[in-house]
Amino acid sequence: MFEFLEFAFMRKAIAAVIILSLGMAPVGCFLVLRRLSLAGEAMSHAAIPGIALAYAVAGLSVLSMTLGGLIAGLSVALASTLLSRLTLLREDASMATLYLLALAGGIFLLSVRGTAVNLESFLFGNVLSLSDGTLVLIGSSTTLTLLVIALILRPLVLQSVDPAFAQSQSQRGWLTRSLFMVLVVLNLIAGFRALGTLMAVGLMIVPATAARYWVNALTPMILLAFAFSAGSGLLGLLLSFWLDNVPSGPAIILVAGLVFFVSLAIGQNGLNLIRRFRAPD
Amino acid sequence: MLGRARPAYSFLRVLYGEGLVIGYGGDPVASKVDFSLSSGEILAVIGYNGSGKSTLVKSILGVTPLLGGRLRWDAGRPTTPVGYLGQLTDFDRRFPMRVIDLAATGGWSQLGFFEGAGRRARRNAEAALERVGLADAADMPLHQLSAGQLQRALFARTIMQDAQLIILDEPFAAVDQSTEADLMPLILDWSRQGRALILVMHNLSAVLEHCSSVLLMGRGGAAFGPTHEVLIPEQLVGLGYMAADKPYLNATAASTSAAKVGKYV
Repeated sequence: MFEFLEFAFMRKAIAAVIILSLGMAPVGCFLVLRRLSLAGEAMSHAAIPGIALAYAVAGLSVLSMTLGGLIAGLSVALASTLLSRLTLLREDASMATLYLLALAGGIFLLSVRGTAVNLESFLFGNVLSLSDGTLVLIGSSTTLTLLVIALILRPLVLQSVDPAFAQSQSQRGWLTRSLFMVLVVLNLIAGFRALGTLMAVGLMIVPATAARYWVNALTPMILLAFAFSAGSGLLGLLLSFWLDNVPSGPAIILVAGLVFFVSLAIGQNGLNLIRRFRAPD
Repeated sequence: MLGRARPAYSFLRVLYGEGLVIGYGGDPVASKVDFSLSSGEILAVIGYNGSGKSTLVKSILGVTPLLGGRLRWDAGRPTTPVGYLGQLTDFDRRFPMRVIDLAATGGWSQLGFFEGAGRRARRNAEAALERVGLADAADMPLHQLSAGQLQRALFARTIMQDAQLIILDEPFAAVDQSTEADLMPLILDWSRQGRALILVMHNLSAVLEHCSSVLLMGRGGAAFGPTHEVLIPEQLVGLGYMAADKPYLNATAASTSAAKVGKYV
């Protein structure tokens, strides 16, 4: 039953999803709580041209692709904030426009460049063929994420609950916001090789929303999101291992989706179905 | 009747503003604003909607830069954050947090960078909740609170801030009479403890009863002075707070003013 552990690629993949979940859980929770879920989705598409460009220039190097993705993702975030300040458009409209352009440009670049990177594994990930470089990237990203979150936790919480109060307490709110956005893009890029550009954001958002249905405090929410995320990662990997032709990214997110629907149905902040049927008053 | 607060400390000026011009993005909302505030004093800020009351508050907090004039702190800008309870337009009541956690956030600025909130902070937060009548709701999540309970919780957070200057921006705008009656003594206590307070408010009778001075903001300028000198019909109508063609309001204000004149002449 545990024969999958005999394969080095499976052991790597399991390590990757668990370490990835450690960083993605807190970032995902704040993404959801700060009403930035869709912005996170947009950022993940926005990073694609940077990765494609880096690949075209420097080949399959983890470091340059990470840098390229970070620069592209953060530029789109910065540009949409600027556009919404300088013009009439709201931030979501300018962000949607910019990320769609970035996505189209990225796919265009990748296709013109040739097929050395298989488009399907780019979009949906291939956690079963992770290089050592990618594992190092995932480990560094998670370490950095946990450190930065620990440093900015209090201002991040204040900003999320009561932005006006947070402003009255500190003039450095922009720093907290910017560091958080860097963490979002960093975790997305760390997740790209494993889950694909379309699915990476799913491992942040879906476990975090599912966790909110169960608990009413931040720390338990983050811990639960981690458990959901790592659990879905493991199960999804096994699905993808047992069933031929099932890419790992969608398999992992589908398991997370199952967790989400169960939480929605019986969680205390969800529909709470069990209690409703037991006590019909 | 609670009476006007009488501070235990002698008055010491904390802050004054001279010829302030305030507004957003270069557009002045109000100009020629003068005021001064001493410890143990409650300064009421009143004015019609859009007269710049909240903008003035944000300028004092250092959030919105002044467009002109001078703001002077007699003992230097406070090194700890100013106590602040603002309007709740952007407040997120769905954030996963219990009442006691919210109260405790008021004490965060006194904690060191690596210092965790220990048992003492927890006890202080419990005492603050007790003081605002929320001891029983300490473990309730924010999204289950009524508007009045939330405002009580935010007063507990303000207690935890333990600040020497406290600014309250329409603290009773969304709460019922009994909540206001429970929380008003807290404000008077802060004043008696020698803290300086700025209170943005629309309830003129409460201002008359509790506040020592008033800043009335309005069209083309602002009036500042002792309460009985500013809350007179000429000022209230002249600065656009009351309409000149509303005899009822005028009659009320005039009779108040007549009573005052009778008292002070």
